[in-house]
Amino acid sequence: MPSICFYFEVHQPVRLNHFSVFNIGNTRDTHSTYFNRNLNQKIFEKVANKCYLPTNNLLLDLIRQYDGKFRISYSLTGTFVEYCEQYLPEVIDSFKELFKTGAVDLIEETYFHSLSGLYDDLDEFEDQIKMHRQMIKRLFNYKPKVFRNTEAIYDNRIALKVADLGYKGIITEGAERVLGWRSPNFLYKPVNANIKVLLRNYKLSDDVGFRFSARNWPGFPLTADKYANWMSNSFGDVINLFMDYETFGEHQWVETGIFEFLRHLPGEVFKHDNLDFATVSEAVERYNPVGDIDVPWAVSWADEDRNVSTWLGNNMQIACFNELKDIGRKLKKKGDRDLMYIWRLLQTSDHLYYISTKGLEDGNVHAYFSPYDIPYDGFINYMNILQDLKEKAESR
Amino acid sequence: MKIAMIGWEYPPFKVGGLGTHCYGLTHGLADKNVHIDFYMPKLRQKIKSDNKNINIIEVGETEIFPYDRPDDKELGGKFFDAVYRYNDLIVQRVKGKYDLIHCHDWLTMKAAVTLKEKLGIPLVLTVHSTEYDRSGWIYPNQWFIDIERNGMEKADRIIAVSEFTKRVIVEKYGISPDKITVVHNAVYPIGEGERRNLVLFLGRLTIQKGPEFFLKAARKVLDYEDARFVIAGAGDMLPRLIEQAVHMGISNKVIFTGKLTEEEVKHIYKISSIYVMPSVSEPFGITALEAISAGTPTIVSKSAGVSEVIKNCFKVDFWDTDEMANKIISLLRYSSLHDTMRQSSKREIQLFTWDRVAEKTLEVYRGIT
Repeated sequence: MPSICFYFEVHQPVRLNHFSVFNIGNTRDTHSTYFNRNLNQKIFEKVANKCYLPTNNLLLDLIRQYDGKFRISYSLTGTFVEYCEQYLPEVIDSFKELFKTGAVDLIEETYFHSLSGLYDDLDEFEDQIKMHRQMIKRLFNYKPKVFRNTEAIYDNRIALKVADLGYKGIITEGAERVLGWRSPNFLYKPVNANIKVLLRNYKLSDDVGFRFSARNWPGFPLTADKYANWMSNSFGDVINLFMDYETFGEHQWVETGIFEFLRHLPGEVFKHDNLDFATVSEAVERYNPVGDIDVPWAVSWADEDRNVSTWLGNNMQIACFNELKDIGRKLKKKGDRDLMYIWRLLQTSDHLYYISTKGLEDGNVHAYFSPYDIPYDGFINYMNILQDLKEKAESR
Repeated sequence: MKIAMIGWEYPPFKVGGLGTHCYGLTHGLADKNVHIDFYMPKLRQKIKSDNKNINIIEVGETEIFPYDRPDDKELGGKFFDAVYRYNDLIVQRVKGKYDLIHCHDWLTMKAAVTLKEKLGIPLVLTVHSTEYDRSGWIYPNQWFIDIERNGMEKADRIIAVSEFTKRVIVEKYGISPDKITVVHNAVYPIGEGERRNLVLFLGRLTIQKGPEFFLKAARKVLDYEDARFVIAGAGDMLPRLIEQAVHMGISNKVIFTGKLTEEEVKHIYKISSIYVMPSVSEPFGITALEAISAGTPTIVSKSAGVSEVIKNCFKVDFWDTDEMANKIISLLRYSSLHDTMRQSSKREIQLFTWDRVAEKTLEVYRGIT
């Protein structure tokens, strides 16, 4: 009897200002010159009104309607929560209300949605996890049991570290490279660590996340009963449906019928005796691993490649990533808290994502999410800011 | 299929993208077994066809250089006479059985329209630039505009080198968008060379091409990074530009090459680190494709047609010399940017072949024959 594990990633990056080479070395108030407050506020409020608030309300109704049998999980990034607190505290209140139902689980991740899991040392990774842990404790008085790294980036080293930090489960992509012939609808265990791995069923997840409104897709139009049927015919312990929260109302606009789909989904699922809902913590408690997975090279849930080439696929990205790490070493020696915070905001993976030069299908996805016309503009902006921060790290 | 094509430049004699286009197009078509009689002015050096399906016919001498902008007082007797004489010569010389006439830009339009009526065959017109482009949108000359409009109205089909040019034809000349097809230009591959620290401008030194913006950006770059700025090409703005460079105190960093031969052009693309095309108005901008093909990262004006189709290049407003300098400095400073853009743009440009241009042009022909 498969349990449906619905998990939503809720994240907004702190986007950058236009920053030319002429600005390098001429900045005083770092935060306001690096980050585009107006743009960020505008986007956040837009997405909050199109997605966060209406989707939260709908899900709260559904949880109440089905007496808590409809169960979901969230991961909220630190940058997202800071936006809420600055601009729309009611968004956080509505998440708190959802959590109070007892049908909602919270997932740990790095506070800054960063690539720190790929650094040479994992101390920064650990620091950011602890920051996130404190934030969840402060807001929800809860300690998450399951961890999901930025964009589900996962390898053996990360799995071991996360197990050491005490988590019971970790989430990643159900990529063929990880599973081979095996199904993502079971729990697995890393070869080198004692933790349970939840693997995203990318086919069923992307049917909603990417293909919901694709008219040339044979599954179109996707209705709740059709989707529940597909899941009922699936084999395994869990069906992990992991997607960006912005799928609802932002990537898939209200006109596509995505909210109607969501509204009817629990009812359609409960028509099938062999289906129920579970949070990620419950899934990890309830089921046992059926096999080992060995992932020496990092996988992720991004793009067709499902590796880290989305952020580190070209020389520009690698150059920025190296600068970022170098600045971190310098700042940690200096111990300047303000600059450390700025440096961490710059670690958000989105900044590197915008510099991806992948073509064709993935490139279109990148372009959709990017504030830049072309990745080269994104590179110049980001690299110039890193150069300015480096000067500050070296001079203070 | 046999066509009469009327142009006025053809390599090795050429001043602009039109000659390059005619060469690439005729060869692309010839490979698809289209027979072409290419009519053009008589030149000092004899041009020979290198393809059995292409026959080059020189109709007579002419003194006209279509990109020159005659002063108003010159735009009288002599200039008109020369244009009319050339067109008359074409009308006299074009004989035989053709499926259609294909002409390029204003200079040959009068003849093409006359021939269409005389021979009773369809006319295709390729617009590489309009009077609005050549004037940089400052005081466009009505005499040229009238010739262009008449040609566009009489043509059965129009090929525009960009969506931008198509819009100009629709909005400024009142032509129906239904008879206009956009066919973007292409490039023959150019190899790579050993890079020097050069930033290149290449084009006629006229208002249209925006060389003064290049100089202004150079001035800003030189406060931050060392490089040499090459201004390749000739034109009426040369004395003013030299003076401007001296006045800015950067004349030791700016090299004026004058007009370059085709081989020299290829060489300068290969050894340059960056190519900048700050055109005020640029229907397409074939030089951007050439520079990219030579592995030179390119910054183009947002108003250039080429910016519609190439993703892997920088696009700036021609007047925004701060942003132009920001991009030049970044390309000079960050090798990862230079490498990535070079590789990605070279890959992208492989799709821009003359075979594709010929195929699309042939589709236009088939639609009317």
